[in-house]
Amino acid sequence: MGGLARRVSYIKAFRHRSNGEVPALYLDAGNLFTDEKFINDQLPPEILAKNRWVVKGYSEFQHDAANIGFADLPYAAELLKKDGYEQRVSELSFIKKLTSANIHPADDSKIAPAPYLIREVMLKRGGTERKVRIGIIGLTEAGQILVAQKQNRYAGFTIEDPFQAVKNILPEVKSKADMIIVLAYMSEDQAKNLANGNPEINTIIVARQLSSTNEPQHYSNATITVANNQTKYVGELRYYFKGDGTIENQINRYVGMDPVIPDDPAALEIVTNAHNDFTNQQNNATQSNIQPTAMLGGSGNGLFVGAAKCASCHQEEHKIWENSGHARAMATLQKNGQQLNNACVGCHVVGFQRGGFQSLNTTPQLVNVQCEACHGPGKFHAEKPQKGYGFMATPQGCVQCHDKTNSPNFNFSTYWTKIKHGKAA
Amino acid sequence: MQRKISLFILLTFFAALASLQFGCSGDTETPDDGDVSVSFDINEPNMKKALGDDDGYALAIHYGSDIHGSLETCG
Repeated sequence: MGGLARRVSYIKAFRHRSNGEVPALYLDAGNLFTDEKFINDQLPPEILAKNRWVVKGYSEFQHDAANIGFADLPYAAELLKKDGYEQRVSELSFIKKLTSANIHPADDSKIAPAPYLIREVMLKRGGTERKVRIGIIGLTEAGQILVAQKQNRYAGFTIEDPFQAVKNILPEVKSKADMIIVLAYMSEDQAKNLANGNPEINTIIVARQLSSTNEPQHYSNATITVANNQTKYVGELRYYFKGDGTIENQINRYVGMDPVIPDDPAALEIVTNAHNDFTNQQNNATQSNIQPTAMLGGSGNGLFVGAAKCASCHQEEHKIWENSGHARAMATLQKNGQQLNNACVGCHVVGFQRGGFQSLNTTPQLVNVQCEACHGPGKFHAEKPQKGYGFMATPQGCVQCHDKTNSPNFNFSTYWTKIKHGKAA
Repeated sequence: MQRKISLFILLTFFAALASLQFGCSGDTETPDDGDVSVSFDINEPNMKKALGDDDGYALAIHYGSDIHGSLETCG
């Protein structure tokens, strides 16, 4: 499922069908780059290569805007360095399509991303032709780990409260746009608050490694819809306008990027080159004899303690876990030969690409779906046990991995009985 | 009078030019649809189903997220 080559094909087919009559934009709601192995304010060459191909792919095939999520910051910091910025932009036009209203450089060595973007399109249906200006605002919450560390600074950027940032920017955007879309890297509950507090917003596209393909919700004047994790399903919002140019209705569809959609040959070439470049760089890194401890990077180095530590107080819960499928999650991957597939590994270990699991050799203590995969990093709780740690919303938390693609038979009430556990004894 | 009119036209011209250059955020852009030719049959039944009915919508926003550095199709 998913992938750039199918996505490009689908969007071309969609535009081809409308014969230039319907304008269509593609927006990315965030977390397009990886911050894997981010340590000492640096990303290793293979991760830089991986991210560089994302920018190249997005520059080559029309992507109209992308929100900078908190995990995007390490690579965004590379792109937004003042040194060489104009040259980079001339080579990779997509850099200017990154937006965030609440991410600010912590010093003057970096360029601030555009707080919002305006896209002008010509509506040709529904009476006379008219121009519509679409304001697109990017917002991100601070990540779980940053909150745990009580920090709002990451990779040389500060993350302002998104609610305050949007209040500050909305009057300006409203004066320049006919409709406003917010790309929000945050929970659905936060997005609802955003809609309720800001009636100027027409659409909120939420992302945060969620896998919803549910119906959109409506709060205040906004339609809230959730982007599918890894874009296995492309979201498609269709707008219908009244005669006076105001929005009459928004209807959402999710389109599965499955084998029905053929690969776009030019996009597939980019994907293949990206894969080869990453593999070569990774092989070089392995040959340069990096010590395992140096591989422990990511945004929260050392915050995951592993199930054995949890078991010292929570014996009963640990026993239930040991007898569950969660405790054998990696074996399932190995059986299918997918243990090295990054797209799969995240749901079979603890804290992958978040400063936790790196590989079977370097972090074997974080393999399988352990306590912290659901309850979050436990270091501070283990050091000073107290109430308040570990709450997890269900089933919302479960469906981040048990999504329709990977766990089609998931039913919370029957699955919960297999792992049911309560508070500490 | 004629001079005043000429001056007014000149000023209006420069004001319009300045507005185009600096008036908006500088991030205003009209998207270019680029090459939308396809090498496959968009009326093939499964593809047609994926595209859905054209029910008169006037604008479309496609969106996604969380590719986390991967352009690849995953299993």
